[in-house]
Amino acid sequence: MKRVYQIAGVILLLFSIYVGLESLSLRYYTSLGPGPGFFPLWLAVIMGILSLLMLYHATFSKSEPLPADFFASKVGYLRAGALCASLIWIVVTMEQLGFRISMAVLFLWLQMTLGHRPNAIVMVVIAAIGSWGAFWVFDNMLRVPLPVGMFGI
Amino acid sequence: MDTFQLLMNGFATALQPQHLLFCIIGCFLGTLIGVLPGIGPAGGTAMLIPVTFVLDPTDSIIMLAGIYYGAMYGGTITSVLVNVPGEAASAITCVEGYQMAKKGRAGPALTIAAIGSFIGGTVATFGLVLLALPLTRLALMFGPPEFFALMVLGLSLVTGLAGKSLVRAMISAILGLMVAMVGIDPVMGVPRFTFGSIDLLSGFNIVPVAMGVFGIGEILLSTESEVKAVIETKLSNLWLSLQDWKDSVRSIVRGTGIGFFLGLIPGIGAIIPTFISYVAEKKFSKNPETFGTGRIEGLAGPETANNAYANAAMIPLFTLGIPGSPTIAILMGAFMMNGLIPGPFLFKEHADFVWAVIASFCIGNLILVIMNLPMIPLWVKVLKVPPAILNTFIISFCVIGAYSLSNSVFDVGAMLGWGILGYIFKKLDIPLTPLILTLILGPMMERGLRQSLEMSQGDITILFTRPISATLLALAAILIIGTTLRIATKVKGETQL
Repeated sequence: MKRVYQIAGVILLLFSIYVGLESLSLRYYTSLGPGPGFFPLWLAVIMGILSLLMLYHATFSKSEPLPADFFASKVGYLRAGALCASLIWIVVTMEQLGFRISMAVLFLWLQMTLGHRPNAIVMVVIAAIGSWGAFWVFDNMLRVPLPVGMFGI
Repeated sequence: MDTFQLLMNGFATALQPQHLLFCIIGCFLGTLIGVLPGIGPAGGTAMLIPVTFVLDPTDSIIMLAGIYYGAMYGGTITSVLVNVPGEAASAITCVEGYQMAKKGRAGPALTIAAIGSFIGGTVATFGLVLLALPLTRLALMFGPPEFFALMVLGLSLVTGLAGKSLVRAMISAILGLMVAMVGIDPVMGVPRFTFGSIDLLSGFNIVPVAMGVFGIGEILLSTESEVKAVIETKLSNLWLSLQDWKDSVRSIVRGTGIGFFLGLIPGIGAIIPTFISYVAEKKFSKNPETFGTGRIEGLAGPETANNAYANAAMIPLFTLGIPGSPTIAILMGAFMMNGLIPGPFLFKEHADFVWAVIASFCIGNLILVIMNLPMIPLWVKVLKVPPAILNTFIISFCVIGAYSLSNSVFDVGAMLGWGILGYIFKKLDIPLTPLILTLILGPMMERGLRQSLEMSQGDITILFTRPISATLLALAAILIIGTTLRIATKVKGETQL
C-alpha cells in the first residue's frame, strides 16, 4: 500500500494547498470576529499536515501489503464503469428526455452490463416497472415531482 | 407536566391509526433495507427520505425512525441465513448466527435476536424518556462555547475510536469539515467555494452525500467482484428451549447495558457495541473456546447491544442536537427538512411532536418483533433476486432520492461523485463515518466558534474559562493525547498510518 498512500498523500496535499489559497481570497478576520476565510484556512493547514504525515509514513514506515482484491478484474472495472456511465446518462438526459425514458434506458443498460441477463421480455418488464412504475408511484401517489421531458413522457 | 404524563400524551398521539400505519411501514421498509446486503441503514434511510415529503413532520420522522431501527434487525436475517451481513453492525452476528443455522437452529437464532433486540431497544427508549428532560435542562445552560466544545469532544471520539489509523480518520473528519464550508458562510452570508454555481450556494446536502458514499460506493465495490452464489439454510421452528433462555438472559442484560451506554457517546458507530458485547460474552463464558461454533450467547448479546445502541443514540440527537452516527446524521437532516432543529429547544417548542416520536420508538420495537419473525420466508425470497436487478432498483431509488431534494440533476451528479470518493476511501481503508458526521456538525462548529469569539471580542480563552466548555475540551484533549500515545508506543515498524 506504500505507493497508494503516497499518491493519496500528494493529492490531499495539493487539495489542501488549493483550499488554503482560495481561503486567502476571503476575509480572515473582521471587527466582529473571525471572517469567512478563518475556518477554511485552518482546515487547509491541518489537512496539509495530515497529508504530509500520510506521505511520511508511507515513505519511511513499514506499510501493509496490498490486499488481494485491491485491484478488480477487467470485467469488474467494466461493470463499475458501466454503472458510472449510467448515472452520467441520467444527469445528462433526465431533464431533456424525462424520467421514464432515461430510467428505462438505465434499467436496460444495467441489466445487460451488471452480469445478469434474463431474457428480453423479462428485461423489458423490469425496465418498465423501474421507469413507468416508479414514476407512477412517486409522481402520482407520493407527489414527488419527477421530470417530464420534451416528448411529454 | 411531568415526564410520565408527557409520555402518555405521546402514546395517545403515536397510537392514532395514521401514525401507527407509518410506523409499520417504516419498520417494514427498514427491515427490507437491512436484509439487502450492501445498502446499509444510512444509505437506505437517505434513499427513502423523498417518500416522506408528502407526510407531515410527525409521520415523516416516525417512519424514518422505523426504517432506522428496522434496518438494524433486518441485517440479522441475512447474517444468520446466508452468512452475509445485511449491514456492517450485523457482521459479528455471522460468527455465531450462521453456525447455529448450519446446525438447523436458524429459527431459535432469529427468535433470540428478535427478542434481544426488542428488550434492548425498549430499555434504551425508556432510558431516553428518563434522561430527556434532565439532559435538556443541562443543554439549555449551553452557550456557543459549550456547543463548540461538545462537538470537538464528539469529533475526538469519532477519530480516536476509528480503529487502525488515527491519521486516516482525521483526514476523513477534516475533509467533511472542508466540504461543509461550501456554500453561504453561516455568520456573514458570503458565498464560499461555490465557483459561481447557484447549485453550490446551499452547499452539499447530506442526503446525496450519504447515498453516494454508503449506497453507490458500496454498489461499485460489489459490482467489481464476482457475484457469489447465495447458500441459504433451512428455517425450521422458531421456538426457544429452556436452555436457550437460560443461556441468553444474562447476555441480553449485558448487551442492553453495553449498547445503551455506548449509544450515549456520539460517533461510536454500531459496530463497536456489537463487537464489545461479543468479546464480553466470550469473557464471561465458562467455555470461551466453543465460541464460533454456534453459541447462542454470542448472538443474543451483540444483537441486543445493536438495538440498544440504535435507540440510545437518539438521546444525544434529541437532547443536544448531536448526531451519534451517520444514519442519525441523516435523520437529523430529515428533521431540518421538516423545519425542526434537534436539540434542547425541540422539547420546549415541539413537545407534542417529540413525545409522540419517542412513544413510537416503543411501539416500533414491539412491531418489529411481532412482524418480522413470520415474514422471514418473504425476506429469504427477496435475497434470491439477482444482485444485478436489486442493485439497479437501488440505484433508481437513489436517483429519485437525490433528484427530488431540489428537482435538480446536480444532486444526482453530486451523488455519483461522492459514490466514487466513497469507493476510493473504502479501498484506502479511510473510514467514512467521520466524514458524514463532520459534514453535519461542521457549520454548527464554525458558528459556535465564531459566535464564541464574537462574545469575547476575539479572546479564545473564553473556551477555557467557562467550566463546562473547559471540561469538555479537556476530555477531548485527553482522548486525542491518549490515542496518539497508544499509537506511538506500538513497536516501530508495526505503526500504521
